[in-house]
Amino acid sequence: MDFPSSLRPSLFMAGPLGMTDGPDLSFMCSWRDALTMPGSQPQNCKDRTLPLAKTLLWEPTTPGPLPLLPPGPDPWEPGMTPRDLLFRGGHRYQFRPQGGLDVTEQLSRFLWDHGDIAFAPLGRLMLENFRLEGNKGYSKKMTIVSVKRLLQDLGGHQPWGCPWAFLSHRLRRFSILGGPVLSRSVSLLMGRLLHEELATRWEQLLLDEAFTGGALAWLPGRTARAGQLVYPSGGALDKLYFQEVSVNSGGNPRVLEDPGHIQLRGPVRQVVTSTVQGETLLAVRSDYHCAIWKTDKQGPPAPLQVLQVEKGATGVSLSPHLPGEMAICSRSGAVCLWTPQDGLQLVYKDSETLAFRDPSPWRWADFTAHPRVLTVGDRTGLKMVDIQGPPGCGLLLFRAGAEAACQKGERVLLAQYLGQTGPTCTPLHLICTQFSIYLMDERLPLVPMLKWDHNLPSAPLLARLLPPASPGSPWPLLLGGQGGQLQLLHIAGEGTSMPQLAGPPQSLPSIIDSFPAFPSLEPKRQQQLQERLEAPVIGLAAAPPCASVPTLLLFQLSAAGDVFYQHLRLQPASSLGEPPDHQASECPASRAAPSVDQSSWTPQASARCRRWVEALMELSPTSPVWAAPTFSHRRFLGHVEHQKSQTMSQKLRAAMAKGKLLRPEDLGTPPRAELPPAPQCSQQDELTERLAEAWEGGAAAWWKRHQGQTSGSQTQIKRPKRRTQLSSTFSSLTSCLDFPDTSSPPCSQNLATSEAWPQAPGTLPSQELTQEPWAHGVRRERRQTLRDYMAKLPLQKDTPGPVATPPSQASSLRATPLRRQTAVLSGSHTPRKKPRMGF
Amino acid sequence: MSDFDEELTKLASAEDGKRGNSVFSNHPGMHFPWLQDRIETVVTGGKKKRDFAQTTSACLSFIQEALLKHQWQQAAEYMHSYLQTLEDSDTYKRQTAPEIIWKLGSEILFYHPKSNVETFNNFADRMKNIGVLNYLKISLQHALYLIHHGMLEDASRNLSEAETWRYGEKSSSQEVLINLVQAYKGLLQYYTWSKKKTELSEIDKDDYAYTVKTRNMLSQSCRTSANICALLKTPGVWDPFVKSYVEMLEFYGDQDGAREILTNYAYDEKFPSNPNAHIYLYEFLKREKAPRSKLISVLKILHEIVPSHPLMLEFHTLLRKSDIEEHRKLGLGVLFEVLDFAGCTKNITAWKYLAKYLKQTLMESHPAWVEEEWKSRRSWWPVFHFSFFWAKSDWKADADLACEKAFVAGILLGKGCRYFRYIVKQDGETLKKKIKRMKKFVKKYSIVNPGVCT
Repeated sequence: MDFPSSLRPSLFMAGPLGMTDGPDLSFMCSWRDALTMPGSQPQNCKDRTLPLAKTLLWEPTTPGPLPLLPPGPDPWEPGMTPRDLLFRGGHRYQFRPQGGLDVTEQLSRFLWDHGDIAFAPLGRLMLENFRLEGNKGYSKKMTIVSVKRLLQDLGGHQPWGCPWAFLSHRLRRFSILGGPVLSRSVSLLMGRLLHEELATRWEQLLLDEAFTGGALAWLPGRTARAGQLVYPSGGALDKLYFQEVSVNSGGNPRVLEDPGHIQLRGPVRQVVTSTVQGETLLAVRSDYHCAIWKTDKQGPPAPLQVLQVEKGATGVSLSPHLPGEMAICSRSGAVCLWTPQDGLQLVYKDSETLAFRDPSPWRWADFTAHPRVLTVGDRTGLKMVDIQGPPGCGLLLFRAGAEAACQKGERVLLAQYLGQTGPTCTPLHLICTQFSIYLMDERLPLVPMLKWDHNLPSAPLLARLLPPASPGSPWPLLLGGQGGQLQLLHIAGEGTSMPQLAGPPQSLPSIIDSFPAFPSLEPKRQQQLQERLEAPVIGLAAAPPCASVPTLLLFQLSAAGDVFYQHLRLQPASSLGEPPDHQASECPASRAAPSVDQSSWTPQASARCRRWVEALMELSPTSPVWAAPTFSHRRFLGHVEHQKSQTMSQKLRAAMAKGKLLRPEDLGTPPRAELPPAPQCSQQDELTERLAEAWEGGAAAWWKRHQGQTSGSQTQIKRPKRRTQLSSTFSSLTSCLDFPDTSSPPCSQNLATSEAWPQAPGTLPSQELTQEPWAHGVRRERRQTLRDYMAKLPLQKDTPGPVATPPSQASSLRATPLRRQTAVLSGSHTPRKKPRMGF
Repeated sequence: MSDFDEELTKLASAEDGKRGNSVFSNHPGMHFPWLQDRIETVVTGGKKKRDFAQTTSACLSFIQEALLKHQWQQAAEYMHSYLQTLEDSDTYKRQTAPEIIWKLGSEILFYHPKSNVETFNNFADRMKNIGVLNYLKISLQHALYLIHHGMLEDASRNLSEAETWRYGEKSSSQEVLINLVQAYKGLLQYYTWSKKKTELSEIDKDDYAYTVKTRNMLSQSCRTSANICALLKTPGVWDPFVKSYVEMLEFYGDQDGAREILTNYAYDEKFPSNPNAHIYLYEFLKREKAPRSKLISVLKILHEIVPSHPLMLEFHTLLRKSDIEEHRKLGLGVLFEVLDFAGCTKNITAWKYLAKYLKQTLMESHPAWVEEEWKSRRSWWPVFHFSFFWAKSDWKADADLACEKAFVAGILLGKGCRYFRYIVKQDGETLKKKIKRMKKFVKKYSIVNPGVCT
């Protein structure tokens, strides 16, 4: 194996995380990694630099992944959200909002829903303090409360703390009496346990390490275009499915027949496959068990071994070198190797973490280029351990510390051996943390060969390295976050050259991006669908590209057990001036071009989604209606007056259960004709004034007038010079881009003349942003950009005061003719741009 | 002033860490970049983010998104709006802003199909003077960009400017950066030197021009050495610098200096264990025609770091020729270790060497050496190298390789081994003689008692 003849210069410092005294060179950008220093001979430096694939792009053929299989029959619950766990509201004067676990609400919900469990024993104990209806005598004792009256008072009481609830002296007396007993006993028993549980749930929401590595795998089949997907499904993820999939010439998958499945006795957390010497093996990790199967081309997979892990298994991996070898890690800190010949063998055991003390029991193991050397990892680092060497020895391959310029609080989330069998491949290890990914060469420990900040908004627990589309081209590396975000990196460099990014990394659509392709449903169902599409992604697999057709088929498994696929094509370098969706928005005529337009859904795709959602809706049972708990007090009390509103509440409840609207007719009350409230006009109401003007078509004039007022009333603040200088860098770029526009089809030519008013001004209020005066003079595709931007902006407060325009922008608006007005937008935070106003 | 600010930002980030992690029992000290977002979806309290902060952060995420979608044009447009962050009233944000802008901006300009070197220069020159603390880093990256585009003179001028730049008290990080800047400058000087050297080799030695050129080159090398030397004292990976510096030193006959540099680079404990450091030293010693024992001692260390390196085969030949018995024993181990690695299984030279050397060792009656090496590999080499699957596929792909492997398999596992049997049964016309000889030798020398099959 060749070693890179010259490595990229980098500083080497030892020390803890985030404590680097020297300059942080990771500050350098991703493009820096792509730069190569010319070799020792400057005259051929031009040849030596690798041709930087600026245009390397795997283009998705649909705007989002499509469902591969119909939804499974088992219902799925989305589980907890931050909303269920955290206190709403917070301290006003804190620097930023901070989370606190909402134990009280959970507790109060429990008491409300299961009051009989919580209070029945106590009630029996306190029986003598209550006067039921039977005993007539009036007691003056302060410790006896009349239940009838109490219930009457409680009848109107709102659960969970309505501040306006009326408190009678009886209620007060009752609460004084019962408070210490009721509140203390229950909360003492439950509070701590509940807090612990909520804390683990919250941690799980932030990082669910159980699915590290992913539970979806691709088993290659007889031909390159067919294979098997192995994944868990079912409500508890305890059925392991084997689904035959073939890829047709267009690159789309075809599901062959009904999948076979194996029923397991626990949820599947990780599925790993490996093909060694023609034998395909499959390892599965559950919470407390690991198992290995040998799969055959024909016939069902044959189980080889099932192992029980008492403390809980955290990771499993299969050897890429020797058939049937499996490494297992346990929460106890032990790493074992199972081989078909020798059975189980303890490789490494240390309950402490590697680089510094960290309480997480998560452990990980993988193989290296040497079949007898394993990597052993935890949250703080990665170590290479020789199985045959003395126990406890090893060489640290990666340490979360200054050597790799790690940030404070950075921890290892996933480690993977990327070496593929082959003579040219370098023995690389991928290490993912919350912030970055690192590529480590096992021959040069502690110094990352490549570091890249992924900026994913969730934990990257899934990674797959795929073989290149054609020999010599870069290797696609897929990186998947738990929240469904996907990124694709292009790793180049084999033999004597350094591993590096061959082009800028790209993001791929996540499952929720295909939400628009589904037909719209009624709100409740829509919500259900959205929750299902937003389910965490727990598995990632790909059918590797083959030489004839450079396409990539990506599969994602969601926690709901749904498998989605995404078809990607390597974009030919020629058509790469502008991204295709950009062209589309610029000129609608180009939509007719034969190339597949990635920004729109094909009818087939929509049909697929519709069928899927129909199947889902058929399956989803009507969720049980929540019923208020009934306390069987009536038998003590004879008849307590039924409230009049009961019929209404029953009807309301029935309507809610059906998901229907409750109309006044349903209640028997005649509908009252009520006029909508008249708008309240105030003198200062700018909005009304402006709308009225706009209605009459005088918006622009009004705007000019208004602007004149505001800019006049404000003092000119001198903008620092550097800002304008800087913006000119980018505006020069923008303006230089204008030139080709003029030569493009006529649709863009008339932009300059009539663009701001494609319709007669003020015809339709729904003309979106064209109504907005600021859009005047902004090119159309830029407006699209802006519209996207505006949609994300916070809604402005209704203070239309004269603070609107920073004067410099206003002046630039007036001074510069149409084209050059892009500068206006640099201050788009000002309240005058109300995105929703025209509607 | 800057120290105070740094102190403040440190404090602020420390507090962030504390707050963010107050809840966790399992991950104390771990930082979740997505924590605050999750909290903000629920918690409404706290000081409201100002509109300004909201627009800038929204804009930032748009830029990042556009970059990941390769929409350079759109990213540039957003960038235009993002520049407002330079006027943030939050000190910490204002301080980090130039860094972010540089990072994103340079990326956009690097990939944008219509940007050119001039635009990039413009941008870099302006960014250098915003937030003075980044001056050196930006200069360095700017120079790298220019080098990449083949504009060596511009890059050199850029680095010279950066070299003389000072701000406040010289901190250690600044010093390292200045060293780095100087080293890159040295590298550029080396390029021109190297160009002159090739020109020189074409000129007649008696020419007047020759002496002028040599003088020129001499002065160049002086400067270069001064530039590069300082950096090499800092721990790190400095392969290109060491390589070029040593080449210059060697050219001027300063062998001792070169040796010192290389020895330092290879053996200083503060440096990472860089295989290239040892390789450079070995190559230098080889050029110098150093004694064999010296070469062996250098390669011995490389062997410990990277047993799979191609130089190991050279190491083996050195050891084989050695008079010391221990070396010859090591020679066997080196070959075995090369073949341990998954990337080297098809290395026909290594198998050839092993077959030959096994023969030699056994004929010299050192079966104990073989036994010793074989002991730890007995459990996995048969499956790893000598399985039936490999026998078939090796024979198909490379019959020569299969023969060498079969010979080794025969010796190590006996003639009953499946790999050996499969290859022997094949009737390759050209290899018939070889196979026959092999069979004979295996019968005589195999370390396995006849009759034991695997």
